[in-house]
Amino acid sequence: MPLVLHPRFVAQASACVFFFLLICASPAQNGHSATYDDTRAITLSGPVTEILWTNPHAFVFVNQKDPSGEVINWAVEIGNPLDLEHDGWKSDAVHIGDQLRIDAAPARGQHHQAFARSVVLTRTNAKLFTEPPHKPQSMLRQPAPRWPDGQVRLGPPPGQKGYWGAASVAALFEQTSTPIPTNDEGLLKNLADIDRVAPLQPWAKAVYEYRQRNLLKDDPLLRCLPPGGPRQFQTPHGFQFIEQRELGRILVMLGGGDRNWRVIYTDGRPQGQADEVVRSFYGNSVGHWENKDTLVVDTIGFNEKFWFSNGGLPHTEALHLIERFTRPTFNTLNYEVTVDDPNTYTRQWKSGWTVQWVPDNEIQEYFCEENAESIMLR
Amino acid sequence: MKIRLLSLFTLVLSLSAQQGYPLTGTWTGDWGTSPTKRTPITFVMNWDGKNVTGQINPGPDSIPLSSVYVDFSNWSVRIEAKGKEPISAEGRLADIGAYHRTIKGTWHQGNATGDFRLTRD
Repeated sequence: MPLVLHPRFVAQASACVFFFLLICASPAQNGHSATYDDTRAITLSGPVTEILWTNPHAFVFVNQKDPSGEVINWAVEIGNPLDLEHDGWKSDAVHIGDQLRIDAAPARGQHHQAFARSVVLTRTNAKLFTEPPHKPQSMLRQPAPRWPDGQVRLGPPPGQKGYWGAASVAALFEQTSTPIPTNDEGLLKNLADIDRVAPLQPWAKAVYEYRQRNLLKDDPLLRCLPPGGPRQFQTPHGFQFIEQRELGRILVMLGGGDRNWRVIYTDGRPQGQADEVVRSFYGNSVGHWENKDTLVVDTIGFNEKFWFSNGGLPHTEALHLIERFTRPTFNTLNYEVTVDDPNTYTRQWKSGWTVQWVPDNEIQEYFCEENAESIMLR
Repeated sequence: MKIRLLSLFTLVLSLSAQQGYPLTGTWTGDWGTSPTKRTPITFVMNWDGKNVTGQINPGPDSIPLSSVYVDFSNWSVRIEAKGKEPISAEGRLADIGAYHRTIKGTWHQGNATGDFRLTRD
């Protein structure tokens, strides 16, 4: 008897297979270093065929003739749409048919994809999508805003807008006198610096080195998993504190990652016992204020499904963080963190950075998942 | 249909999840002296900060692990256990960055020698 499949079953099965292949095959899940070879350079020249203004990567597609006369369609990444819009660029800066000249870093492998270093509109010779000069920050020397009782506000004062922008460093390293050079993803410029990163146990050093040598391709953030720990303050789209004093809690709203939030309880409750806490990406956080100037947050109860810093530092469920948030001026947030994970590190260690206020703006809408169908290698 | 797609999406996401210590977790697989003669095995291992502890085949007949050694220069693993017959397994970790990483190698149990393969659940 011949096997007869119901058309509805076939359609459903096909959709599942397609969906699975799409997710598995999509290079959207790779970071910049794993996708592009920054040591190489190519120049592309041709008409625009499509503009894809999608988070977290905007693309223009151009047709370029190769030496044999064959026309090849290239996907050229031009940056993040939110950053581009923040700098004054819109998707209509170029139109279908415009001739572009692009200097770019090509994708690894034989794909027709590249990351733009400069984009020039041929007919006007105008440079597109380049960052404008930074505006002077008039509030730089203003004191930090405070609540009526004198406690520092971590958010904007009443009637104003603003949020916290990107961190001053790309990755989390133990505080040392000499900076450790990395790219924006925390990839070490020199792998020999690995012994200065943190007091890693041998297994943790091996795992960290494995992640670095593989250009961070296994980064859970690239699969849209939440950035727990200090990394929530390293994502490119900023964050905001919502202080709900009447409820005894502070919400940390994240502009990057998966656009989710973290709760810090400030109602005086004690920290839970590590073996009672439900393991999670952001852990169980309790905070208190020191001298109305510094918020001190104690967090335990992490799961192991995320990287707690750019660059791939490992951790276990024993991870215990103590974070200190201080706002010395209106525009500056000092972040300090003590990392305590005896299963991963040989001792406690400290790190920190500063974050600058982005005035008169709100965090823009960003969803990691939107990227899932935006990048497909040509 | 939506539920099925959602389940599939969740499955794919979970495949990409990470863990801290590479051996921590539950591993399943088999060992045998030939491709057709196989015995299912389950390992549960945990890193306590200094040592890996665990057992083979949790339950009434579980066998505690007596030693686990990992050479991080090449990700080779040696596991020993003392059941009714002494067991030792020497293998190599692969796909370290994947949740479902694997260990494959040689298995010795009593006087028998075969191969084994384990995949982390």
